[in-house]
Amino acid sequence: MRVVRILSASLLGFLLFDVLIFHSRLYLSVVSPDSSTGYLETFLRNEKLRIGRGGDQVLAVGDSRMMFFTRYANELTPETGYTFATISTAGTTPRCWYYMLRDIDPAADRYGAVVVPVDDYDDGEIAEDLSNRLLDLHYLIGVLRLSDLDEFAGSMHSVQNRVESARGILLNGLVYKADFQDLLLHPIARVQSAALNRRDSASWMYSYIGPSRTMEGVSIDWAARTLTVPADVTPAQKAEFTYRFLAPRPADMGHQSAYLKYWLGKISDRYRGSKTRVIIIRIPRGPFIRPDQPPVNPQSSVRELASRSNVIVNPEHFFDELERPRFFMDQMHLNWAGSLEFTRTLARQVRQLLGPPPANGSH
Amino acid sequence: MLFNSLQFFVFFVVVLVLFYLGPRAWRRWVLLLASYFFYMSWNAKFVALLLTLTAIDYTAALWIERSEGTRRKRFLVLSLAANLGFLGFFKYYNFLAENLVSLLDLRPHMFALSIILPLGISFHTFQSMSYVIDVYRGEQKAIRNPVDYALFIAFFPQLVAGPIVRAREFFGNLFHWEAPTSEEQLRGVLLMFLGLTKKIALADRFSPIADSYFRNAAGHAGAMSAWTGAIAFALQIFFDFSGYTDMAIGMALLLGFHFPVNFRRPYLAFSITDFWHRWHISLSRWLRDYLYIPLGGNRHGNLQTYRNLMLTMLLGGLWHGASWNFAIWGAYHGALLSLERIAGRKRFQDPPAWWLYPFRAIATFVLVTVGWVFFRAATFADTRYIIGQMFGGVSGPGDIVIPIWLLVLVAMSLLLAVAEEKWEGIERLARAPAWAYATALILLLVSVEMIGVTEQQIPFVYFQF
Repeated sequence: MRVVRILSASLLGFLLFDVLIFHSRLYLSVVSPDSSTGYLETFLRNEKLRIGRGGDQVLAVGDSRMMFFTRYANELTPETGYTFATISTAGTTPRCWYYMLRDIDPAADRYGAVVVPVDDYDDGEIAEDLSNRLLDLHYLIGVLRLSDLDEFAGSMHSVQNRVESARGILLNGLVYKADFQDLLLHPIARVQSAALNRRDSASWMYSYIGPSRTMEGVSIDWAARTLTVPADVTPAQKAEFTYRFLAPRPADMGHQSAYLKYWLGKISDRYRGSKTRVIIIRIPRGPFIRPDQPPVNPQSSVRELASRSNVIVNPEHFFDELERPRFFMDQMHLNWAGSLEFTRTLARQVRQLLGPPPANGSH
Repeated sequence: MLFNSLQFFVFFVVVLVLFYLGPRAWRRWVLLLASYFFYMSWNAKFVALLLTLTAIDYTAALWIERSEGTRRKRFLVLSLAANLGFLGFFKYYNFLAENLVSLLDLRPHMFALSIILPLGISFHTFQSMSYVIDVYRGEQKAIRNPVDYALFIAFFPQLVAGPIVRAREFFGNLFHWEAPTSEEQLRGVLLMFLGLTKKIALADRFSPIADSYFRNAAGHAGAMSAWTGAIAFALQIFFDFSGYTDMAIGMALLLGFHFPVNFRRPYLAFSITDFWHRWHISLSRWLRDYLYIPLGGNRHGNLQTYRNLMLTMLLGGLWHGASWNFAIWGAYHGALLSLERIAGRKRFQDPPAWWLYPFRAIATFVLVTVGWVFFRAATFADTRYIIGQMFGGVSGPGDIVIPIWLLVLVAMSLLLAVAEEKWEGIERLARAPAWAYATALILLLVSVEMIGVTEQQIPFVYFQF
């Protein structure tokens, strides 16, 4: 009995350590702002601190391609009537967006609309199986709860990733390990950089403007499957361009479609019955559009969601004008000029889709 | 199924439950079936080899006991030939074939076979041979129950990498089995987690550093790189092997078996003689009792003693693997042991004065670390290059290949080892107040969580032997 008591106490002590340091979010105050967790946490914290709630608030989610600069969108507030915010975080995926939205808008009543970008409206297969992306755990560890264990871990494809996710949700320290070791190496510098990030990141992000370089000078011969680049493009960049534009498309296994139906469906379900609309847009895809686009899929995630009353699907070709080399800095990211154009166009289109905001900004 | 995997922990908990909650009469069967399941989880086909060797040695021992005169010797030779034959074929055939081809200038690989080394063959054959020799010497009664004997050979905590347990130790435990006391249970759990911490929080941290250095030593030119690369391996192999052993001893203790100590803080040794009293003690003991002493030990004058030491260590080196590097490693240690004897046996067996101890310990560690280069380098050319860099690298000092935070961890481990040497804290913890034990266990668990390599399972170094 003594042994069981001592071992149970040890185990409880260990779990308590993990709960007090990591589950309590205490550790998030010193997590590296440059880590996946810290980066996402910065966006979420700044958005939680931002004052603004009601039908005139519009939030954008997305990854690094969602180059939506709220500063320029909000310059149009007198015209649109809406105030824009973003939690678009480089490297995140629709699964992350669901948990991020749940974290900053727990009652699903803060925004008039949430803008969600997708690559296409046909669920074209991509090389990476997003459902099996363990990196999502690292982005989300600060917002996942024990009650998410079943759904989050279960949404991974491989058994190994399911086990690793479950383990990470139970023992957060396993996920923070690399960050913790780095903290041990440079504790003072870390505390200082975390404090600086807390204080100033909102204004850095609000003032950020993207790079001005363009993809002009790059040309593709689709028939010969060759890509020509200017002299200042490095071999590594050229390889990335070639992969993006000329690598064979992966065969349609239905993975991407199932993934998007599940997670975009979850986002839409969160706002079902609320006054928040979910606006789905097709993001400007790139400076060049491959001729082998996925075939039209009438049963795609977006087309199925379009029938829901709280979902608005933006016209598919709305941003086609931006899909030009002069608006892109690389094979998939808008440059400064492209971002500005995209931001302003999207802000005005949101107004168009939603109509005028409710009086006094309330729902 | 590695000791450092979740599957193994689940397996072990199931075994504990079946062992203690099942009928007492089933316990040996539970352990035997669990052991075979554990072995087969690696490669089911080789269980036939394990069963064959078990059957041969079980029968040979019975026949030896019942026979007299030269027949006894014949059965002994038969058993040893079977063990060494299997070991030789699986472990040394390709090595011998390649050397023969090279000697006779024949077509490379013309006799080479694609052979998979059965898991733990070096350990269980040595254990089995010691039993048959002990029966032959009259020091051990032949075991009547084949289940008992099969369990002695296959007992899963020590099947793949020891410690090499003597028959009288194992059967003493088995025949007079007593449930572990609460103190033993606590010690067993602590040893398991201490071993796990050593393995995944320390050995697995040094593993990629050592691998990276030894894979491309020329890319890390310089004396500092060579020394720190070699030290990284010295630390990896110690934490890896002693971690495995701690887990094996801890698990056995939880099942009511007392295994001998296999490591006693070897890097605190003050001489090479002392090192071999602290490193892989069960193998040293085996080599002493079944090789060195039968060769004559130190009973026939100095020259014979040096020859016996050299032979024993050379074969001990070759036991680790079929390569000239292992032979040289063994010979290197044999030469150092002989030199210490020449310089005065007592001086290297008795601890020096306290003020001299640190210097002697550092000198011993340096000598041992040089030896690890022979052990770890893939080829003799690599070994020559690395040793050349260590002693007068011409490409500048090079970099420290071990990150500072790991060196801090090692410094903390060293302090703990010194404290353990003085106060035997691990032994005492099981008897200490509950809060002290719980704090130690929590610290180990936190170390595993926050420092351990949990993203992948790195196999134990000694599994390849």
